[in-house]
Amino acid sequence: MIISENTFNNITVIALQGTLDARNAPQLKQFNSAGAAANSIVINLSEVDFLDSSGLGAIVSITRLKRSQGGDVILACMNDKVRNVFEITHVYKLFDIYDDVEAATLNAEKKQTSL
Amino acid sequence: MITVITLPAEIRFVRLASLAALQVAEIFIDSLNPSQSDPGFCDAFELSVSEAFTNSVRYAEHPEQDKTITISFSSENNKLTVSVSDTNSPFNPDTPSPDLSSYPENGYGLFLIRQLMDSLSYKREEGTNRISMTKQAYCSQNYNP
Repeated sequence: MIISENTFNNITVIALQGTLDARNAPQLKQFNSAGAAANSIVINLSEVDFLDSSGLGAIVSITRLKRSQGGDVILACMNDKVRNVFEITHVYKLFDIYDDVEAATLNAEKKQTSL
Repeated sequence: MITVITLPAEIRFVRLASLAALQVAEIFIDSLNPSQSDPGFCDAFELSVSEAFTNSVRYAEHPEQDKTITISFSSENNKLTVSVSDTNSPFNPDTPSPDLSSYPENGYGLFLIRQLMDSLSYKREEGTNRISMTKQAYCSQNYNP
Protein backbone atom coordinates (compact mmCIF):
# COMPACT_ATOMS: atom_id res chain seq x y z
CA MET A 1 0.00 0.00 0.00
CA ILE A 2 2.87 2.41 0.80
CA ILE A 3 5.02 2.13 -2.27
CA SER A 4 7.68 4.71 -1.51
CA GLU A 5 8.87 7.10 1.17
CA ASN A 6 11.34 9.91 0.56
CA THR A 7 12.51 12.56 3.01
CA PHE A 8 14.06 15.84 1.86
CA ASN A 9 14.36 19.11 3.77
CA ASN A 10 12.54 17.53 6.72
CA ILE A 11 9.48 16.78 4.56
CA THR A 12 8.53 13.14 4.03
CA VAL A 13 6.64 12.30 0.86
CA ILE A 14 4.84 8.98 0.97
CA ALA A 15 3.16 7.55 -2.08
CA LEU A 16 0.20 5.22 -1.63
CA GLN A 17 -1.15 2.83 -4.20
CA GLY A 18 -4.31 0.85 -4.84
CA THR A 19 -7.22 0.63 -2.43
CA LEU A 20 -7.59 2.19 1.01
CA ASP A 21 -10.37 0.28 2.75
CA ALA A 22 -10.84 -1.76 5.93
CA ARG A 23 -8.30 -4.36 4.75
CA ASN A 24 -5.34 -2.03 4.86
CA ALA A 25 -6.49 0.96 6.96
CA PRO A 26 -4.91 -0.53 10.14
CA GLN A 27 -1.56 -0.76 8.35
CA LEU A 28 -1.78 2.88 7.28
CA LYS A 29 -2.79 3.98 10.79
CA GLN A 30 0.32 2.37 12.21
CA PHE A 31 2.58 3.94 9.62
CA ASN A 32 5.77 5.21 11.23
CA SER A 33 7.72 7.57 9.07
CA ALA A 34 11.45 7.04 8.94
CA GLY A 35 11.78 10.80 9.37
CA ALA A 36 11.66 12.72 12.66
CA ALA A 37 8.32 12.80 14.47
CA ALA A 38 7.95 16.55 13.90
CA ASN A 39 8.52 16.25 10.14
CA SER A 40 5.52 17.04 8.00
CA ILE A 41 4.22 14.44 5.57
CA VAL A 42 2.94 14.85 2.04
CA ILE A 43 0.70 11.95 1.03
CA ASN A 44 0.72 11.38 -2.71
CA LEU A 45 -2.64 9.78 -3.57
CA SER A 46 -2.20 9.75 -7.35
CA GLU A 47 -2.12 5.93 -7.49
CA VAL A 48 -5.01 5.40 -5.05
CA ASP A 49 -8.00 4.28 -7.09
CA PHE A 50 -10.50 3.75 -4.24
CA LEU A 51 -10.94 4.93 -0.67
CA ASP A 52 -13.80 4.27 1.74
CA SER A 53 -14.49 5.58 5.25
CA SER A 54 -11.96 3.17 6.77
CA GLY A 55 -9.19 4.61 4.61
CA LEU A 56 -10.42 8.11 5.34
CA GLY A 57 -10.36 7.40 9.08
CA ALA A 58 -6.79 6.14 8.85
CA ILE A 59 -5.65 9.37 7.17
CA VAL A 60 -7.45 11.45 9.81
CA SER A 61 -5.82 9.33 12.52
CA ILE A 62 -2.23 9.79 11.31
CA THR A 63 -2.92 13.50 10.75
CA ARG A 64 -4.05 13.97 14.35
CA LEU A 65 -0.96 12.13 15.57
CA LYS A 66 1.36 14.15 13.33
CA ARG A 67 -0.13 17.46 14.42
CA SER A 68 0.18 16.47 18.07
CA GLN A 69 3.90 15.96 17.39
CA GLY A 70 4.30 19.39 15.81
CA GLY A 71 4.15 18.30 12.18
CA ASP A 72 1.41 18.27 9.58
CA VAL A 73 -0.07 16.13 6.80
CA ILE A 74 -0.71 17.57 3.35
CA LEU A 75 -2.54 15.71 0.59
CA ALA A 76 -1.74 15.68 -3.10
CA CYS A 77 -3.13 14.31 -6.36
CA MET A 78 -6.45 12.76 -5.30
CA ASN A 79 -8.71 11.56 -8.09
CA ASP A 80 -12.38 12.57 -8.29
CA LYS A 81 -13.62 9.37 -6.64
CA VAL A 82 -11.36 9.85 -3.61
CA ARG A 83 -12.06 13.61 -3.48
CA ASN A 84 -15.80 12.87 -3.35
CA VAL A 85 -15.41 10.97 -0.06
CA PHE A 86 -13.43 13.84 1.47
CA GLU A 87 -16.08 16.32 0.32
CA ILE A 88 -19.21 14.43 1.47
CA THR A 89 -17.71 13.94 4.93
CA HIS A 90 -16.31 17.51 5.07
CA VAL A 91 -12.94 16.01 6.00
CA TYR A 92 -11.34 18.03 3.17
CA LYS A 93 -11.57 21.03 5.53
CA LEU A 94 -8.89 19.45 7.72
CA PHE A 95 -6.29 19.55 4.97
CA ASP A 96 -4.36 21.59 2.49
CA ILE A 97 -4.93 19.67 -0.73
CA TYR A 98 -2.84 20.13 -3.88
CA ASP A 99 -3.06 18.83 -7.41
CA ASP A 100 0.65 18.10 -7.59
CA VAL A 101 3.28 16.82 -5.19
CA GLU A 102 5.73 19.66 -5.87
CA ALA A 103 3.25 22.35 -4.75
CA ALA A 104 2.30 20.27 -1.72
CA THR A 105 5.95 19.84 -0.74
CA LEU A 106 6.69 23.56 -1.14
CA ASN A 107 3.71 24.38 1.06
CA ALA A 108 4.88 21.88 3.69
CA GLU A 109 8.35 23.43 3.67
CA LYS A 110 6.93 26.94 4.07
CA LYS A 111 4.71 25.84 6.94
CA GLN A 112 7.55 24.05 8.65
CA THR A 113 9.93 27.02 8.46
CA SER A 114 7.24 29.36 9.79
CA LEU A 115 6.80 27.25 12.94
CA MET B 1 -31.65 -9.07 -13.44
CA ILE B 2 -30.88 -10.81 -10.17
CA THR B 3 -27.33 -11.56 -9.11
CA VAL B 4 -26.38 -13.06 -5.76
CA ILE B 5 -22.88 -13.35 -4.30
CA THR B 6 -22.13 -14.99 -0.95
CA LEU B 7 -18.77 -14.32 0.67
CA PRO B 8 -17.17 -15.26 4.01
CA ALA B 9 -17.68 -12.56 6.65
CA GLU B 10 -14.01 -11.63 6.60
CA ILE B 11 -12.56 -8.23 5.90
CA ARG B 12 -10.15 -9.60 3.28
CA PHE B 13 -13.17 -10.04 1.00
CA VAL B 14 -14.37 -6.42 1.21
CA ARG B 15 -12.67 -5.39 -2.04
CA LEU B 16 -14.15 -8.36 -3.86
CA ALA B 17 -17.59 -7.22 -2.66
CA SER B 18 -17.11 -3.58 -3.68
CA LEU B 19 -15.62 -4.49 -7.08
CA ALA B 20 -18.55 -6.84 -7.74
CA ALA B 21 -20.93 -3.96 -7.01
CA LEU B 22 -18.99 -1.66 -9.34
CA GLN B 23 -19.12 -4.20 -12.15
CA VAL B 24 -22.82 -4.94 -11.77
CA ALA B 25 -23.58 -1.19 -11.79
CA GLU B 26 -21.45 -0.71 -14.93
CA ILE B 27 -23.23 -3.57 -16.71
CA PHE B 28 -26.61 -2.17 -15.60
CA ILE B 29 -25.80 1.32 -16.92
CA ASP B 30 -24.51 -0.16 -20.17
CA SER B 31 -27.74 -2.13 -20.60
CA LEU B 32 -29.77 1.10 -20.28
CA ASN B 33 -27.72 3.15 -22.66
CA PRO B 34 -24.53 1.70 -24.10
CA SER B 35 -23.39 5.09 -25.44
CA GLN B 36 -23.48 6.84 -22.09
CA SER B 37 -21.49 6.17 -18.94
CA ASP B 38 -22.38 7.35 -15.46
CA PRO B 39 -19.30 6.99 -13.24
CA GLY B 40 -21.03 8.68 -10.28
CA PHE B 41 -23.76 6.04 -10.30
CA CYS B 42 -21.31 3.14 -10.43
CA ASP B 43 -18.97 4.68 -7.83
CA ALA B 44 -21.93 5.03 -5.44
CA PHE B 45 -22.53 1.26 -5.54
CA GLU B 46 -18.83 0.49 -5.12
CA LEU B 47 -18.52 2.71 -2.03
CA SER B 48 -21.88 1.79 -0.49
CA VAL B 49 -21.19 -1.94 -0.68
CA SER B 50 -17.72 -1.42 0.76
CA GLU B 51 -19.27 0.40 3.72
CA ALA B 52 -22.12 -2.10 4.25
CA PHE B 53 -19.84 -5.14 3.94
CA THR B 54 -17.33 -3.61 6.38
CA ASN B 55 -20.11 -2.98 8.90
CA SER B 56 -21.34 -6.57 8.56
CA VAL B 57 -17.86 -7.95 9.21
CA ARG B 58 -17.23 -5.52 12.06
CA TYR B 59 -20.40 -6.55 13.89
CA ALA B 60 -20.05 -10.31 13.31
CA GLU B 61 -19.92 -11.42 16.95
CA HIS B 62 -18.71 -14.96 16.37
CA PRO B 63 -16.53 -14.93 13.25
CA GLU B 64 -15.29 -18.42 14.09
CA GLN B 65 -18.73 -19.75 13.14
CA ASP B 66 -17.98 -19.50 9.41
CA LYS B 67 -20.46 -16.66 8.91
CA THR B 68 -21.23 -15.39 5.46
CA ILE B 69 -22.47 -12.15 3.94
CA THR B 70 -24.78 -12.24 0.95
CA ILE B 71 -24.89 -9.45 -1.62
CA SER B 72 -27.80 -9.46 -4.04
CA PHE B 73 -28.65 -7.14 -6.89
CA SER B 74 -31.97 -6.55 -8.58
CA SER B 75 -33.22 -3.99 -11.05
CA GLU B 76 -36.50 -2.45 -12.04
CA ASN B 77 -36.68 -0.07 -14.98
CA ASN B 78 -33.80 2.34 -14.40
CA LYS B 79 -33.39 1.58 -10.69
CA LEU B 80 -30.73 -0.73 -9.33
CA THR B 81 -30.97 -2.17 -5.82
CA VAL B 82 -28.22 -3.89 -3.88
CA SER B 83 -28.91 -5.70 -0.61
CA VAL B 84 -26.31 -6.78 1.92
CA SER B 85 -27.46 -9.50 4.34
CA ASP B 86 -25.88 -11.01 7.42
CA THR B 87 -26.90 -13.06 10.46
CA ASN B 88 -25.53 -10.68 13.09
CA SER B 89 -27.65 -9.34 15.95
CA PRO B 90 -30.34 -6.87 14.91
CA PHE B 91 -29.33 -3.23 14.91
CA ASN B 92 -30.92 0.18 14.62
CA PRO B 93 -30.07 1.71 11.24
CA ASP B 94 -31.43 5.10 12.30
CA THR B 95 -28.21 6.14 13.93
CA PRO B 96 -27.57 9.88 14.05
CA SER B 97 -25.21 11.32 11.46
CA PRO B 98 -21.65 11.84 12.62
CA ASP B 99 -20.72 15.31 13.85
CA LEU B 100 -18.95 16.43 10.68
CA SER B 101 -17.57 19.54 12.36
CA SER B 102 -15.43 17.40 14.67
CA TYR B 103 -13.96 15.30 11.82
CA PRO B 104 -14.35 11.92 13.56
CA GLU B 105 -12.17 8.98 12.51
CA ASN B 106 -15.11 6.62 12.09
CA GLY B 107 -18.90 6.38 12.03
CA TYR B 108 -19.33 7.53 8.41
CA GLY B 109 -20.59 4.23 6.93
CA LEU B 110 -24.37 4.62 6.93
CA PHE B 111 -24.04 8.38 6.52
CA LEU B 112 -22.10 7.92 3.29
CA ILE B 113 -24.60 5.37 1.99
CA ARG B 114 -27.48 7.79 2.67
CA GLN B 115 -25.67 10.57 0.84
CA LEU B 116 -24.85 8.42 -2.18
CA MET B 117 -28.02 6.37 -2.68
CA ASP B 118 -31.63 7.42 -3.26
CA SER B 119 -32.95 5.17 -0.51
CA LEU B 120 -31.77 2.85 2.23
CA SER B 121 -34.02 0.38 4.04
CA TYR B 122 -33.45 -2.17 6.77
CA LYS B 123 -35.33 -5.40 7.43
CA ARG B 124 -34.88 -8.06 10.08
CA GLU B 125 -36.37 -11.38 8.95
CA GLU B 126 -35.79 -14.89 10.25
CA GLY B 127 -32.57 -13.98 11.99
CA THR B 128 -31.17 -12.06 9.04
CA ASN B 129 -30.36 -8.36 8.74
CA ARG B 130 -30.88 -6.98 5.27
CA ILE B 131 -29.81 -3.50 4.23
CA SER B 132 -31.18 -2.56 0.80
CA MET B 133 -29.85 0.40 -1.14
CA THR B 134 -31.46 1.74 -4.31
CA LYS B 135 -30.36 4.32 -6.84
CA GLN B 136 -31.95 5.51 -10.03
CA ALA B 137 -29.86 5.95 -13.14
CA TYR B 138 -30.34 9.09 -15.16
CA CYS B 139 -29.70 8.38 -18.79
CA SER B 140 -30.64 10.60 -21.70
CA GLN B 141 -33.55 8.36 -22.75
CA ASN B 142 -35.21 8.40 -19.36
CA TYR B 143 -33.88 11.53 -17.73
CA ASN B 144 -36.77 13.31 -16.09
CA PRO B 145 -35.59 16.13 -13.83
